[in-house]
Parts: sequence; structure tokens; C-alpha cells
Amino acid sequence: MMNIKRVISTIEKNYLINNLKREKRIDGRGLWDYREWKIKSDVITSAEGSADVSLGETRIITGLKYEVGEPFPDVPDEGVCTIMAELLPLASPLFERGPPDEQSIELARVVDRGIRHADCIQTKKLCIKENEAVYILFVDMYVINYSGNLIDAGGISSLVTLISSHIPEGKFEDGELQWTGRYLTGDMIVKELPIVLTFGKIDGMIFLDPSLPEELICDGRLSIAVTENKVTSIQKSGSATFSVDEIKMLSRKAIDLGAKLRKDLDLWQYKTEY
Amino acid sequence: MPLVIKDEYPEKLFREDGKRLDGRDKYELRPIKMEVGVIPNADGSAYLEWGNNKIFAAVYGPREVHPHHLAKPDRGILRVFYRMATFSVFDRKRPAPGRREKEISMIIADCLEPVLFLELYPGTAFEVFIEVMDADGGTRCASTTVASLALADAGIPMKSLVTAVAMGKINGEIVTDLSGIEDKAGEADLPIAITWFNEKISLLQFDGDMEIEELDECLDRARVALKEIYEIQLQALKKKYIEIQEEVSGGNVKNDEH
Repeated sequence: MMNIKRVISTIEKNYLINNLKREKRIDGRGLWDYREWKIKSDVITSAEGSADVSLGETRIITGLKYEVGEPFPDVPDEGVCTIMAELLPLASPLFERGPPDEQSIELARVVDRGIRHADCIQTKKLCIKENEAVYILFVDMYVINYSGNLIDAGGISSLVTLISSHIPEGKFEDGELQWTGRYLTGDMIVKELPIVLTFGKIDGMIFLDPSLPEELICDGRLSIAVTENKVTSIQKSGSATFSVDEIKMLSRKAIDLGAKLRKDLDLWQYKTEY
Repeated sequence: MPLVIKDEYPEKLFREDGKRLDGRDKYELRPIKMEVGVIPNADGSAYLEWGNNKIFAAVYGPREVHPHHLAKPDRGILRVFYRMATFSVFDRKRPAPGRREKEISMIIADCLEPVLFLELYPGTAFEVFIEVMDADGGTRCASTTVASLALADAGIPMKSLVTAVAMGKINGEIVTDLSGIEDKAGEADLPIAITWFNEKISLLQFDGDMEIEELDECLDRARVALKEIYEIQLQALKKKYIEIQEEVSGGNVKNDEH
């Protein structure tokens, strides 16, 4: 078992902070480095798209299911995508059983907002018949092992799930829903690739991708979702406060680091042929 | 909620050549893969792929009991939580645990308890979390099998491992290891588990329609399949330690036991 506890000892905390002051991390990373990413796509047979994403020892499996339902009256020709997260008690002694708590709702909502406010999911392509039938997509994240920074791992995991999707294409004929025999694939429903980047802050020092011990002692976090040249959502959590200059610096940093990650991970390779 | 593709299955569950729809013989198991220690945070864990089933199990304990009134002063308790992911089945499952999941959790707990020495851990709980990420028939058997492996990986004293398999009847024939389609379209389903220390049956359910002689055949055939799965469990458990041994000795292990 790994050394996981709610409270980090003062000596460990001091060690971590002293390292950060010299721009070093206890796991050997630089301030603006991610841990190692491992991505597998389309791993779940029953799902219409899925991803198994590891960021260091944090691991999230995400799957996509669909239903056909009525559109919202104000957008009669657009489909819907909802994102949910489960912090399984299997993933960490820090997680408890029961209905979704604040942490899992925050994870789902931050990932959702990052995707929603970018030109990512082409909701008009998810319409079968205006006013009557649209696709409702469910992207459900399951945390398998928790080792810090669920938001960034969840963001990539949801994105790869959408990219790897293969949803049966429906049409309306004689008032009945029928299958055309074709599939809607990720490249048809996804356009922009928004990436969420989370920065931790301890004692005034800011760094990317908090690991578990860093996350447990950090004063707060700032998660920024970016597309190629825009910021699409920001979430500040924890009790830390950020200066205006820090926020300006981090939003630029997020766009640069986001572009680098987008290039390194090459997410379009995970699209499926159907 | 309507889906574009309907969940349909054929009436004939055997092909022209006498094999089952997935190409198996009557008493053939689907491919099975197991691995232990897959969840670093857990005290013990295991992952299993059994056909299209993909299941994680993690064990935490002995640890404090929540809620406290469940604790027993003279012995530990075993709690099992079997859950399915929303995307593990054809129609999206609702996220909250249903009646089926709660019943299966209890059945698995009852099945595993005989192999543990709970009297050695008064006032504490062992918690086994089983997460079915992908389901294709026989998940309760696969879950029992992988849960017993996770308990062993946690180093909890056990009398033996537990192994389970689903026997069944399709188109009038007794078969081993029902797949999802066979489970839905077949006539009978008989999940069965064995505790190896006394070689007795520790989990048994039956739904369907069978002659008494067919039931005998099921029980006899199950034994052969269980033995085969047990070997895979043992290999998975040993593999972790062989890997550690190889790492320590720099790859020069002389071990004729595996």
C-alpha cells in the first residue's frame, strides 16, 4: 500500500516546500512538467467510446453511452452531452461510498465546462430530427486510482472518449427511429480540443499538475481550460488567493503548455474507424 | 429511452458446425486474463478480463467500521460492494446501485467469508470493492474469482482461493461459461463457486429449467472448468512475486517451480 493519509507530516511538507523554492519537485519534475501520460482508447466493448488514461499513478476509465431523447425547447436542433464522475472507494482510502460528493461533482463540472464552452462537440450533428429526436450523450468517468490532479486526467480522458466514439446513426422514417447502418465517429462530432490544466499553489509558489502529496498540502488550485488560442473556463478551488498578475501569467502559460500537450499527445490518433 | 440499434439476439445459439456463436465448444471457457496489484492505493487488488468482461477488485482492511454499529466485538466483518459502471451494459445503467447489485454483493460476501479467519480481527472490517467496467455474462462469477485474488494479494490470511463459473443450458445442451447472449437467450443459468480448502460449493444460484440429470451434468462439468480457472488464478498470484524476484536478482532466477 502506498503512503496515503489525510495529514502530511510537517517534515514531509517542509521537504516538499524547500524543494519547490529551488524550483524542484520531489518526484524530479520541473515546475511546468506533467507526470507521464498513458492513454488507451476504445477499451470497453459495451460502450460507444471509451478511454483508459493514466497521469502518473492517477488512473481514470471513461465510457460513453447514448440515448435518443427530445431536445431542449430553446435549442430544438442540438444534441446534449452530460459528463459525470465517480470517485470510486476502490481508488483511494480517502474516498467514501455513497452518492457523488462535492469533489466528484466539481471534477465533472470543471471538465464539462471546459468542453462545453469550446467549439468542441458539434451538437448540431447530434440531431436526428428537429424538435423531436436528438442524441443525449453520457460521458461517465470512473476514477480507478487517485494520485492527485483528477481534473487534467479527467479532461483528457473525456476528450479521448469523445474522439474514439462510434454512435449508431439514426434516421426517422414513417415516424419511426431506424438505423442507417452507419456510425457517427469522433471526427464527425468533435472539432476543437480543449485541454484543462491545473496549477497548484503552496506558500506563493505555483506549479503544474499537483501530485497527491502536493495536492494534499497545497493552499489551492487554479484549473484553466484552453483551446488553441482562447481560455474557455477557469476554476479556482481551495483557500489560496491569486493576484491579477498571477492569473494573467497562468492563462498565458496554460495556452502555451496546452498547445505543447496537444501536440505531444496527438489525440486524433485515437479516432476509430467504423 | 429508445436506442438506434435494438438489443436483439438470435434463437439459435449453436452454429451450423456445432460450435457456439463465439466459436467455442460446449465445455470451452472464454479467454481469461488476470493480474494482481493493479491499484497501487489499495491494500490488495486484482484485474480480470474474462471474454469481454473487464472487472477491477480492490481490498481495504482490516480497517475501522463505518457505520460503527456494524462492528462486531468478537470478530471482523467482510463487506463486499459489487457495482457496475454505467457504460458496462447495452442500455446505460443508472449510476446509483440497484437491487441486483446489492443482492450480488451479499451473495459474494457470503461466498468469500468461509475462507477468511475473521475471528482474528475483532471490531474491524475488510472491504472489497468490485467494479465491473465491461459486462458480458457471468459477472458475478468473474467478480467472485477476482475478489478472492484481491484478498490474497492483500496478504490477508486465507484458507484457500475461491473460484466461480457460470454453467448453463442453451438450445437444450449443457454448456460451460455462458456468454452475455447465451445468458439472455438460453434456458438456464447456474453460477457456482468452490472454496478449495474443503472443495465445497460456496455460491450457488439457479434460474431456468433443467432435468435433474442435467443438473448433475452441470455440477460435474463445473468442476473441470473451475480447476482450469484456479490454475490461472494461481499463476496470476505467483507472477507478481516472480517479477519481484527477477528484479531483485537482476533477471537470473532459477526457479523450476513455476
